[in-house]
Amino acid sequence: MKHIFQVFKFEYLSCIKNKAFIAVTIILIAMILLMSFLPAIIMSIATSSGESDETEEKPVIAVCNTAYKDNKLIKDEFSAAYSDYDIKITDENTSQIEEKVDSQDYDFAVIIDQPLSYTYITRNNSMFDETSMTVSEIIKSIYKINALSEYGLSSEQAGKILNVDVTSKTVSTGTDQTKNYISTYVLIMVLYMAIIMYGQLVSNSVITEKNSRAMEMLITCAKPSHLMFGKVIGSGLAGLTQLVLIAAVGVASVSTITASSLPNEISSFISFPVSTVIYALIFFILGYFIYAFLLAALSSLASRSEDLNTLITPVMLLFVIAFIIVIVSLNSGSVDSILMIVCSYIPFTAPIAMFTRIAMSNVAFWEILLSIGIQVVSIYLLGLLAAAIYRLGVLMYGKPPKLSEIFGLLKEQHNANKKIKQSN
Amino acid sequence: MELKVQSVVKSFGEKEVLKNISFSAQSGKALGLLGRNGAGKTTTIRIIMGVFLADSGEVLIDGKPIDRNKFQIGYLPEERGLYPKKIITEQLMYLAMLRGLSKKEAKDACDHWLERMGMSDYKNKKLETLSKGNQQKIQLAATLMCNPDLVILDEPFSGLDPVNAMLLKDVIKEMIDGGAIVLFSSHQMNYIEEFCDSIAILNGGKIVLNGRISEIKRQYPRDTIAITSSQYDKISSFVIQKTSDCIESANVSKDEENTVIIKLKNAGFKNRIMTALADNGFDIDCFKVCEPSLNDIFVEYTEDGI
Repeated sequence: MKHIFQVFKFEYLSCIKNKAFIAVTIILIAMILLMSFLPAIIMSIATSSGESDETEEKPVIAVCNTAYKDNKLIKDEFSAAYSDYDIKITDENTSQIEEKVDSQDYDFAVIIDQPLSYTYITRNNSMFDETSMTVSEIIKSIYKINALSEYGLSSEQAGKILNVDVTSKTVSTGTDQTKNYISTYVLIMVLYMAIIMYGQLVSNSVITEKNSRAMEMLITCAKPSHLMFGKVIGSGLAGLTQLVLIAAVGVASVSTITASSLPNEISSFISFPVSTVIYALIFFILGYFIYAFLLAALSSLASRSEDLNTLITPVMLLFVIAFIIVIVSLNSGSVDSILMIVCSYIPFTAPIAMFTRIAMSNVAFWEILLSIGIQVVSIYLLGLLAAAIYRLGVLMYGKPPKLSEIFGLLKEQHNANKKIKQSN
Repeated sequence: MELKVQSVVKSFGEKEVLKNISFSAQSGKALGLLGRNGAGKTTTIRIIMGVFLADSGEVLIDGKPIDRNKFQIGYLPEERGLYPKKIITEQLMYLAMLRGLSKKEAKDACDHWLERMGMSDYKNKKLETLSKGNQQKIQLAATLMCNPDLVILDEPFSGLDPVNAMLLKDVIKEMIDGGAIVLFSSHQMNYIEEFCDSIAILNGGKIVLNGRISEIKRQYPRDTIAITSSQYDKISSFVIQKTSDCIESANVSKDEENTVIIKLKNAGFKNRIMTALADNGFDIDCFKVCEPSLNDIFVEYTEDGI
């Protein structure tokens, strides 16, 4: 136990003091700050530039109307859609208008020659230009108002009828997916990144010790299993420290901005329920141990960093698949599909699958307990298996063995130990 | 104190690496563990260290199974290795504390050994910034920091310049005089002859020779003498003509200058040759019995394969 603690302390401090680790922490914190304050910054820039616009000249949209009698209706409808523009009703001919658009006197121009047909004149036709869609809508509306006014309604009355708005309110008795979507999405990303990143940390630490042959000294000081457990716990806690630090900054900055500048509709989307965050923490710890043990064991079999990738790719792939399943289910809204239910009980996919289901739907408490139970048992078994592989791997140099060979060696080691115990 | 490796057998899979190995080493003495590459030296050492479990057989200290928590072992592996990117003091203290030293003991031991190795200036540097020889000294400090009762040194001299080799020799002598058991594995036989009282030669997983070096050498016939003199060619013809009843052959040595190698018919004739030469007034610098070198003995016992 003493050894595990010492290895843990050494690994933890090594991680925390590592320059790259510190740099990543600072960069992530800076990104969080930037992202949380960016909307507020953009909004303040937008308002300030909006204010200054009033003194300046607004861009001009020229409308040439020969199809409708009421030019005022046309001007009103265009002004409503393009509030930042000056709408100029013109009777210039087409070539004059084209000239003015080209010389940028007009931002663009619309020539309505028949009730339901118009020409759109612009300088550069961009791929993402939505003007013609908007103008079509305006003209449809003008047509309808015009038609209704022919039946005796005034254009104001017709306009009111045509532009009615419906307000709605949703009450959900279970989990409100819309409300939790963003927080769940963010937390799944964090879970996925954290488990992979800190798992890699363990992997790198093992391969450094093997590559530099520091392992030769270490195994004479402590049991391989103690070395491994200390390392996994140390890196994990270093990761958790980083996460907590980043989360604290995130919570502080988000609560500052939501309190001040963001409209309610947006801030309600970025709510992080406490229970969800706690579940994220629990599933991070479970997922981390499952993957860290696997990665530690596999890394111990490599003797160079070049061999490492081949060994750990299958594990990484497994996790990527889990991630894809979860994200696809999340986006399609069917987080309780059979696939997701199965995934939430498979130890390698459960950490993110079960978390997603808890956050986005109603999962019975026994299901949560069962999933956590399965993961805890898996961690225990994987820990034992990883310790056995680690014992074999740390002194193995050269080409990494195949999976079948590993099991052969493990069996042999087990039998040899049994024999030794019996003879004692 | 006595370290006894008793009837140790170890197999990896089908391959039996150690076939019933036994030898012993006393405190205050050094034992040379010799063997060709792949003979099983490292496996033997790892079994002593407890890294591997023996299939059968025991490692005993004073007749009792070794308790590695109480009995400190310092090991300098042939494959040197520490953390290249870590501060020297940090990693030395880490290793010492893993060996059971308290933080203060570890700090004191670290300061002491860095000073002893002349490396105090480097203590806050990263290991990778040091030259290979200096890294080796740090490694040695790591080995000796726990004040070990048993010191296992695997090729300790490789990579050291003559001054550092001298420093290491002094340190090893101190350890031996201080009552530690020293296990010394090397292919440089001159160092083995210098430090070790006894040797154990491993070949193909078996101990093929074990005992005190002086006794092993005495077992060889002492019937060859070497005479060094400026008159070596005259001596050569003199012994052939005048003492032909005592000698089988007399040849000028190819390896040593001004030396005649004389093979006697019987080791007892040594004195007769000495008297005859003295009586005839030859000027002799050196008259000695040729003993086989450790190198010769090693080659003789390990030549026939692994």
